Amino acid sequence: MTSPHTILLVEDDGALRTLTARALRQSGFHVLTAATGAEMWITLRESTIDLIVMDIMLPGTSGLDLFRRLRRESDVPIIFASARSSEEDRVLGLELGADDYISKPFSTRELAARVSAVLRRGASSPEYGEIGSDGRPPDLIHFDGWQVSLARRELRTATGAIVDLTGAEFDLLITFLGYPQRVLGRERLMELSRSRIGDSSDRSIDVLVSRLRRKLQAGGCDAPIVTVRGVGYMFKADVKRG
Amino acid sequence: MARRTIGLIRRLGLPERLLAVLVLVLIVDFAISSYLFERENSFELRLDDAERIAENLVMATRTLERAPVVERNHVAATLSTVRFRYYLTPPDGSERRSLGLEGLRAQVLAFEPELAAGGLELHLERLSSHHNIAGSIRLADRSILRFQTHANTAWTLTIGRVVSLVLPTLLLIAVGWVLLRATLKPLRDLIAATRHLGAGPPQPVPERGPDELRSLIRALNEMQQRIYASLADRTQTMLAIGHDLKTPLSRMRLRLDDDSVDPEIREGLSHDIEEMLQLLNSIQAYVESDGRSIQEERIDIAVMAETLVDTVADHGGDAVYVGLGNLEVRARPVSIRRALSNLIENAIHYGGNARVNVRRVDGAAEITVEDDGPGIPEARIADALQPFVRLDTARARDTAGMGLGLAIVRKAVKAENGSLTLCNRPGGGLKATIRLALPSQ
Repeated sequence: MTSPHTILLVEDDGALRTLTARALRQSGFHVLTAATGAEMWITLRESTIDLIVMDIMLPGTSGLDLFRRLRRESDVPIIFASARSSEEDRVLGLELGADDYISKPFSTRELAARVSAVLRRGASSPEYGEIGSDGRPPDLIHFDGWQVSLARRELRTATGAIVDLTGAEFDLLITFLGYPQRVLGRERLMELSRSRIGDSSDRSIDVLVSRLRRKLQAGGCDAPIVTVRGVGYMFKADVKRG
Repeated sequence: MARRTIGLIRRLGLPERLLAVLVLVLIVDFAISSYLFERENSFELRLDDAERIAENLVMATRTLERAPVVERNHVAATLSTVRFRYYLTPPDGSERRSLGLEGLRAQVLAFEPELAAGGLELHLERLSSHHNIAGSIRLADRSILRFQTHANTAWTLTIGRVVSLVLPTLLLIAVGWVLLRATLKPLRDLIAATRHLGAGPPQPVPERGPDELRSLIRALNEMQQRIYASLADRTQTMLAIGHDLKTPLSRMRLRLDDDSVDPEIREGLSHDIEEMLQLLNSIQAYVESDGRSIQEERIDIAVMAETLVDTVADHGGDAVYVGLGNLEVRARPVSIRRALSNLIENAIHYGGNARVNVRRVDGAAEITVEDDGPGIPEARIADALQPFVRLDTARARDTAGMGLGLAIVRKAVKAENGSLTLCNRPGGGLKATIRLALPSQ
């Protein structure tokens, strides 16, 4: 077993900080804590941090300002925690470059799952491909006139209209986009899709693929997913990033 | 009858009432002045007529009484003029009585008292006749002298005279009406502004019109500000409470994950925490559902509805989608998604199933969510849309939430200038319809 990842928890509420730290330790992480932005900077200088879990409603400097500065100076993956659980906060956080968002209150299991998923993604992200100019993988992916935003988890048509996907459908699409023009078996697709976020769907891959296909047929075009008999599926469109 | 009149008066608007007062004043004024004028005028004119009739009659009776009896008819014809005609009739012995025109008769007798001896009688002729006054007088030999004459017409009211008197009055009324309406326009603006009060940020009504109206408008504008401030305050308070409660809830949830907690207690408390969270989230959703801070976007409403149906069906709900494959509208995705989701969840919860349709109807997108449940009593449909109203009071604890579900839908749809209607389907069950304008191509 490799040495445990070090998580920096930035949270102003003392009791909650203690409880969250305990929850993360129980899940096998090494945890450092900070109550303010200033403490956070000191800890960041002194230790090697693998991931930051941060409450955006910190007193003093607003959490978002702190977050912007942190993003400029460091590539450490960040998970936003917020009690507001509003869609705007979530989108704003993700657009500013947070790697994930978790709304309070969360359970130990949920927090551990998110942290693990983000760490796993950071360690090996074959589907993200090249790194953008800001040192981070590009957010936008284009294919056949469609546009996918990874941060907003959004699919848009050529006219800019948002096309809703369920979490599982989005994960499946991202998996396809990571392996264009390659035949993927059902089990492999399932494994790759599920590893992304841990949101399990009872639906079989076949059902998910057929729903995704139907949604990608807008405007009368053929969906870019073809069935390879007896093996699985293949995404045939060209995929452009950035 | 009286009640109907009162009802009619009550229905009259302010300008109509003021106009009615004006008309009434003018009518009274007209009636009084024309009565006085006519009295004065007709008295003078009657005096002229009386004098003429008296002179003519005296001369005719004297001339005829001096003439031989055989020539009297001839003399009467000679005395006749166009305006004063005489003819004789034999004595009939009847009582001489004047019919009407008593005033005129008195005046005539005042000029020539000797006519009283002959029993002067005067009456009005039929209207068709050329002459309008006729009468008779007894001569000394008891034969009757009849006469017809034409009195001055001015002392009867004619249509022409009425029009000439009424026209200025009508003109006055018309001018009064226009001025009244102009004066009351600021009041009408105020009424229109009051209708939209509280529906959004305050929109000050310009202060115009008379002083009383200005102060009314100022008071209303101040009230708008107060209402807006207090609503904003309430919203902030609700959000703050929701936010602040989440920190202790977070602690509780993490405390429950401690191994020393009895699993049964953990499950029960987790359930309670979950329910509290749902309440807080529904308040937050309600406060945010007007979507003021969220941008409008192009969204595929058909795919959105279908995705929500799929999600419900995946979790075991009886939901089907039967609408179009694609239909783009402009709306705030988060609030519209929540609205559709609430309708579908309501259908599943209260009706047992959900049938969702998205159609294009008359240039609008129509989204319907139907169920086969018991529906809502007609009288309570309006209540169902009100925030914090729950229809199922008898089994209130059966459902989570604060009765905000449909209120959130209504607010979200209103923010898109769309419409939400609820109705019971003829075959049973509830049907909720959302209409949204389609973007111009």
